[in-house]
Amino acid sequence: MSLRKWITESRFWKSWFRNPYPRDRRSRSLVILNSLALHLHPVRVPKRATRVTYTWGLGGLATWMFVILTFTGVFLMWYYIPSTQDAYWSIVKLETEVTFGSFFRNLHRWAAHAMVIAVILHMTRVFYTGAYKPPRDFNWVIGVGLLLLTLLLSFSGYLLPWDQLAYWAIAVGMEMGGATPFIGRQVRLALLGGFEIGQQTLIRWYTLHVIFLPLATIFLMATHFWRVRKDGNISTPVYEDDEEELMRVAEERRLR
Amino acid sequence: MATEVRQPEQDDLLRNVDESQLKPVHTWPHLVSIELIGALIFTLLLSIMAIFVRAPFYRMADPELTPNPAKAPWYFLGLQELLLHMHPALAGVVVPTALLILLAAIPYVDRSKKGTGIWFYSRKGVPIVIFSAVYTTIWNLGLIFVDEWLPAGESTGIAPFLKMHGFPDAFAEIFVPLVFMTFIPFSLWTIVKRRWNADIRELMIAMYTFFLASFVVLTIIGTAFRGVGMELVWPWEVPHPPIGKE
Repeated sequence: MSLRKWITESRFWKSWFRNPYPRDRRSRSLVILNSLALHLHPVRVPKRATRVTYTWGLGGLATWMFVILTFTGVFLMWYYIPSTQDAYWSIVKLETEVTFGSFFRNLHRWAAHAMVIAVILHMTRVFYTGAYKPPRDFNWVIGVGLLLLTLLLSFSGYLLPWDQLAYWAIAVGMEMGGATPFIGRQVRLALLGGFEIGQQTLIRWYTLHVIFLPLATIFLMATHFWRVRKDGNISTPVYEDDEEELMRVAEERRLR
Repeated sequence: MATEVRQPEQDDLLRNVDESQLKPVHTWPHLVSIELIGALIFTLLLSIMAIFVRAPFYRMADPELTPNPAKAPWYFLGLQELLLHMHPALAGVVVPTALLILLAAIPYVDRSKKGTGIWFYSRKGVPIVIFSAVYTTIWNLGLIFVDEWLPAGESTGIAPFLKMHGFPDAFAEIFVPLVFMTFIPFSLWTIVKRRWNADIRELMIAMYTFFLASFVVLTIIGTAFRGVGMELVWPWEVPHPPIGKE
């Protein structure tokens, strides 16, 4: 038999891909249902849901930016040293001595800005298409949480190069935090890890940036995607409030 | 605020509906292929940017040398702009917290399901967005300019002007800014309600546009028009990199 058949009819291949390549209705249904990543989608959507100009794919774009940031972030973690003495020089080394070091650092930076922009545009799209209305109301709240996490992730990463841009941007941020009414001093202490911006601040923000905030974001994203499915998938036009529809139907029945 | 939800003109909401658009299609391949192409295009664009445009990296952090101007990341520059006009607790803590809470509260103010999935909701939606954006921009720019140039003895600005005339600091730095920040959306609400006979969804559209337009205007001013000493200057007069960061 041909090589292709020998591979695609082997037990190994069939244990990995449990349905044939999706060409007919059955396999196109199965490929979605059998896949961890793909079963985020329903098997079928209304045709209008595939129109790019409805959503502009902004939520997906924000998620994809997060994926790029994770991979480039791991690469950066191999070279970055979270110490006030070494952080700056580890980045100099990354940019000059490491193959593709500069590329990955730049990609990480621009993907970070792109993610913040994508998230804000996504929120704006969801708002102007009324896709926050019930039953999607709590998912909007989760989205606001994700907006906050995105901004915190970006801000915590901003400090890490320990250059003049980073240090003084954080100094401005800390001043704002320290101005919190009543608990300003405690807030400042918690943010800084001490009384001044120093080694303890760097370690604190590094830990938040590489592990805690990403985990929180992944958890909220999973909930956010789950709720999109549970709340009725991509929003389609609603012309009546249910109550009015019910009343109309009841009225029709009464008149019959 | 008991505003009834009114039926948007039927023809507006139905204008884009055509039966073939409701026909179900398989996500593989129709949706998944679009997503794949989108991901590839954006990865390519970002990679090209990463090859040619260097991420900023200035001299090592120096606690003794404050750059001038010392700016937050761009998405916080709107807030930093607000800091120039009011007490830091108000600008840095109260306003962002209130903003997040109000944003999260939107679906609990506008409870109607009508209009889901329809861009701008009704024929009145787009004019309301345009009016709200222009109204907000005029107010924001007007207040920024007045606060920059109103003469007040040795300095300029609304707060110094008020203090010069005997008003207490808290009045000038907290009360007056609060009045402006609540008056602008409140007046917008009233105007939109009267002019367009707006229902709750249309009013929320006006409020969100107020927030978005303010964010955009303040961020642009903070990024491009604030130079040495955080003074209002032309974009080409803003030092790049800021003094002290080279």
